Amino acid sequence: MKHFFGVLCLMLCLGANAVAASNEEAAIVKNFSGTAFIVRQQMTFPVKKSERIFSGDLLRTGRDGTLGIIFKDNTILSLGPRSELLIEEFHFEPSRGKLSIVTRMFKGTAAYVSGVIARLSPKSVRFETPSATIGIRGTKFLVKVEGGGEEE
Amino acid sequence: MKRAAMKAASWGMLFFMGACVAPEVKTETVPVPDAGRTQVVLVHDPDGKVGEVTVRNRGGSQKINQAGQMAEAKDGTSAISTQALLAEGDINKVFGDALAALPKKPVTFILCFKNDSIELTEASQTMLSSVHAAIGDRQSQDISVIGHTDRTGEKSYNVALSRRRALKIKKILVSKSVNPSIIEVGYHGEADPLIKTPDGVAEPRNRRVEVTVR
Repeated sequence: MKHFFGVLCLMLCLGANAVAASNEEAAIVKNFSGTAFIVRQQMTFPVKKSERIFSGDLLRTGRDGTLGIIFKDNTILSLGPRSELLIEEFHFEPSRGKLSIVTRMFKGTAAYVSGVIARLSPKSVRFETPSATIGIRGTKFLVKVEGGGEEE
Repeated sequence: MKRAAMKAASWGMLFFMGACVAPEVKTETVPVPDAGRTQVVLVHDPDGKVGEVTVRNRGGSQKINQAGQMAEAKDGTSAISTQALLAEGDINKVFGDALAALPKKPVTFILCFKNDSIELTEASQTMLSSVHAAIGDRQSQDISVIGHTDRTGEKSYNVALSRRRALKIKKILVSKSVNPSIIEVGYHGEADPLIKTPDGVAEPRNRRVEVTVR
């Protein structure tokens, strides 16, 4: 029994790491304050400086948290407190024409400065919220998404 | 004794599992009148320009292209409205924290080399101090160094030359105590010119290494 759980647990952890490793690295954490988390493969862990962020990661800030990241294509993104944003898709291989950056925000506030992908292929950039899709042409903008009440 | 060991082992296991299996991610399900309402505000780019964003849903789409202009989607189906220009103070009230957390824009330096050489031009030699200033200023942990050549000489030779140029710059950075593990080196030979030219043409501006400091 003991072994069974041990092995199961090991498999879960290894499995999660393997999947994370197959996702493309999307960004790096430049700064954060207060409570800020990454949710990856159903594991939640506190953000560290210079932490690598992968497509599929969910970023979350607490009531006193902020987070600033820079994507591989130089897109810059920050979150204010009580925010939640998913890096849904990221590909940055200009030489193979493979470009996309799709972020999905569930709640909170964000600032966004578009990068190289928006310059090379504006169609490949999307910022989704529960009520709208934002299309971007080389620019800086702010987004607020109303949450559905307090949790934490 | 054995029992105690088993107990300790199972506690350890529980702890381990606790570390592996995190609470489920919850997104909003509680119905609140305004839940999901989206406001988008356009502002000046870091270099002073103002771009354009389009906000759309099943109710239609709206373009905004002035600094301080806001588009609002109440839900996924109602038409999107635009508002009068917002004052900077009002923007900061809502977005101040997010704006304060916005990292500085990455900066790219173009360092040029002498013909068929891994020796920097004099002008680029002096630019090295700005590269170091940017690394310190941003406390950068992510630097890319990409080597290039012009289109004189063989392609394969140029790939090797661009690699040597990139490695030269990495060596210079490391010699000034930049951590080598944060430097990502790439080289594109003559395939990615700054100035497009026919094959065989000498173009000093393409003999370069691009250093991006994030």
